[in-house]
Amino acid sequence: MKATRVFQLTALALVMVSAVQVGWWLFDQHAYTVEKVAAARAAYAEQVAAAQALLDSGAAPARVQQLLSGIVTRDGRATLAPEVAEALTTEEHRRYRQYAWEGSFFLLALAACIAVIARALRQEAHVREQQDSFLALVSHQFKTPLASLQLSLETLALRAPGPEAARPLIDRMLADLARMEQMVTQILESARLERGRVDLKSEPLQLAGAVARVSAQLEERARQERISISSDIAPTLIVVSDPLALDVVVRNVLENALAAVRGAGGAHITLSARASEREVELLVRDNGVGFAPAESARLFQKFSRLRSGASGYYGTGLGLYIVRRLMELADGRVSAHSEGVGKGASIRLTWPAASMDARAAPQQPAAGQETRT
Amino acid sequence: MSATLPAPVLVVEDDPHLAAGVMENLRAEGYAVTAAPDGEQALDWLAGHEFALIILDVMLPGADGLSVCRTLRARGNTTPVLFLTARGDPADRVRGLEAGGDDYLAKPFHLQEFLLRVRAILRRWEWYRSVSATTATAVLRFGGNEVDFRAFRARSWNGEPQELTEKEAMILKVLAEHAGQIVSREDLLERVWGYDVFPSTRTVDNFILRLRKRFERDPAAPRHFLTVWGVGYRFLTEGEP
Repeated sequence: MKATRVFQLTALALVMVSAVQVGWWLFDQHAYTVEKVAAARAAYAEQVAAAQALLDSGAAPARVQQLLSGIVTRDGRATLAPEVAEALTTEEHRRYRQYAWEGSFFLLALAACIAVIARALRQEAHVREQQDSFLALVSHQFKTPLASLQLSLETLALRAPGPEAARPLIDRMLADLARMEQMVTQILESARLERGRVDLKSEPLQLAGAVARVSAQLEERARQERISISSDIAPTLIVVSDPLALDVVVRNVLENALAAVRGAGGAHITLSARASEREVELLVRDNGVGFAPAESARLFQKFSRLRSGASGYYGTGLGLYIVRRLMELADGRVSAHSEGVGKGASIRLTWPAASMDARAAPQQPAAGQETRT
Repeated sequence: MSATLPAPVLVVEDDPHLAAGVMENLRAEGYAVTAAPDGEQALDWLAGHEFALIILDVMLPGADGLSVCRTLRARGNTTPVLFLTARGDPADRVRGLEAGGDDYLAKPFHLQEFLLRVRAILRRWEWYRSVSATTATAVLRFGGNEVDFRAFRARSWNGEPQELTEKEAMILKVLAEHAGQIVSREDLLERVWGYDVFPSTRTVDNFILRLRKRFERDPAAPRHFLTVWGVGYRFLTEGEP
């Protein structure tokens, strides 16, 4: 990393020195040409003067023209031959043109080099900056569940509560561990996405299947927290995506919805889907904390977290960022909508539909499976 | 704060698990605990209720802990504040104490240490309040200066009004209690800050400089706040001739 940087900076310095040299060379060549042309004109002027002197002293014009090339005499006056004067001017212009072309070519090439190196340097600085803030944020995010875990354990050690009183402490510790496990998963996922080291497949997948798989994983948690999840997705809807990425996207969006409705009475999450000519759309609606409409774009940025409020949600701020990146990689889209804080929210995921099934897919969702927990 | 009533403590922490853990332990120790999940609610609560101590998380949604503490101090509220934070480097500690905090604990922390610090802060304040409770001890007069320990206000020898910070008032109180005797820097740290909050005893020196600037006619040649080289300080009410 450091050696690369030294190399880049050296290259940048060299290229910049070269650019200055090309500039100087241009200036020098131009001055040289001006000087040489002026010298040639002065020499010819001397010859014209000499010819005139010879003519004035009575020399035969033919003899004068023979002696001094490039001179014409007419009516006793010596002048420079028009073709010579023209050749001189042409040569002068030719040289200027040559310098202009060569010079601008080299300068352009060097400017391109400078731009490329400067861009690489800037990108590197940006990456370093992001890594630093990433590390700072990640370590900060881990410290809270760690502190909670340590506190619960030390409470158990200090107060030695009976099994009844220990239960909530143990539940809290398990939840803290689950939280850290989720963070590790999300951090690894986002780090992989960041470096572009994801090799995503593009295959036709049944959307209802993925939703059912993820819902089943979250069913237990939803039941404990008295959150109902209902999905109504036609099994005929086929999206083009990577199978793992599809599960990750659906899971992150569902987990986000679960966190948003936590603590709200009569909490429910609704999943519905529909297809158009070329796209399949999944809508995840909840009646949870919602957000200010102006924040909808910020939701998908890295490390953006909503105000926790009474529901006390804590996340890594990476879940929806991962969703956005994966949807981009799948040529899909994601958007969030809310009427305002406390008014629930919906997240819309759009994938390209499988081309063969697109024609067969129904416009309206057919009666799909209904799961209620 | 009488001995029979439990000391009221406000816990401002947005993480529900951590808040629950802290509150259960404080309750088990006999404190009366109230919770606030963010800074705004904490400030609302503090506008209408008296607390003996505020446990304040630094990273809060909305207004952060530091600005909550600054707002509180600007309102004239001197309730002691113990900061909890995920960042524990010395610069952050200093920022917390500059914002008007009394102590600083980095997450994750040890339960016993946390309870010890809570007790230490409450004890210091108990001492400060009890020794400032009677009219005889609430006001200190020396060299034309007059200090009111209850109001954190003073008037210096040239008639200028002075607003004291809690630490300045506490240091002055400790020195006045031991007027004529030598008080070491370590004693001052222990009595006013507790323990190991600041990395060095130089902090005490800075506070003494501030007190000299406020109350000495010639801060360069002090007559009340005397340095005892290599040991600490000696306070004289009469002034050195």
